[in-house]
Amino acid sequence: MKALAHVPVEGEPAKSHDAQLVSAVLRKDRKATAEFVSCCSDWIYPFVRRRLMPRMEMVEDLMQEILISAWQNLPNFRGEAGLRAWILGIARHKIEDYYRRRIREAELQEDDSQTVEPTLRPQMEEKLEAAAGQERVEKTLAYLPEAYGLALTWRYRDGKSLREMAELTGKTEKAMERLLARARESFRKRWE
Amino acid sequence: MTNPEAEREFRELLSETPVEIDRRTPPSLKARLYSALIHEQQKSGPLASLDETVAAGYGICVFEKLVQIAPLDKEAKSRFFCQVCHARVLAEVFDRPPIYWPQCPYVTFKRT
Repeated sequence: MKALAHVPVEGEPAKSHDAQLVSAVLRKDRKATAEFVSCCSDWIYPFVRRRLMPRMEMVEDLMQEILISAWQNLPNFRGEAGLRAWILGIARHKIEDYYRRRIREAELQEDDSQTVEPTLRPQMEEKLEAAAGQERVEKTLAYLPEAYGLALTWRYRDGKSLREMAELTGKTEKAMERLLARARESFRKRWE
Repeated sequence: MTNPEAEREFRELLSETPVEIDRRTPPSLKARLYSALIHEQQKSGPLASLDETVAAGYGICVFEKLVQIAPLDKEAKSRFFCQVCHARVLAEVFDRPPIYWPQCPYVTFKRT
């Protein structure tokens, strides 16, 4: 992080710098605000981008929402865990709100037909090597209906449990299971 | 209905995205976020004046310096002058804008 004006001297605790920066931003100092935006966006951008890919058009909207929420809640910042952890906490909540909203809005078929899931083809695993494989994963996610992509990301990238997903979206666990099964199926079809 | 094998495989498939870890915030995005946050701050009253900014130890750009030394009242010195500056416009559009003013936040974004 490069400060615009105040650079903490060597050894100065990060928390002290956080406190000074927050205090200056609360005074609405434009240069401190620039420094705040610069460091906070560097902290949250990879986090947000990774969770919203490939829907890049949403990244900017959500980052703006996070920063404005941070500004509005800045008087409550106590500094126990540091500014970085604090703003990442806000980002996490905003991302979860977004997932919840979008998945809740998605039309879920309530039929109980059992889907037999084929296991992933061996070639698929072979091709999962380093960046090329990851790029393909992202491209495949990009072609899925949004609710499918978000559900897969939430479940397998963020490690949300079925119960949590169901509670947060107001669906039953069964409905979430069905949504995930259809999302996996859709992913496989586009992968092949 | 849960298929443990599918669960395991998809977890492995989606858990790592090494190509994403080092992605930096695009400077033009920082510029737009900064402008948006300043506008948000202005909703609850004026920004700190340039005199206060200088007193706090921050540098100001050549245009802000002109305003600071001008015989203007505090309210006039609290406006967001970048709003009418070409540097802001360029920085919000380009990641490597052709702007080089020292102490301009929009210039700083392209370096970070």
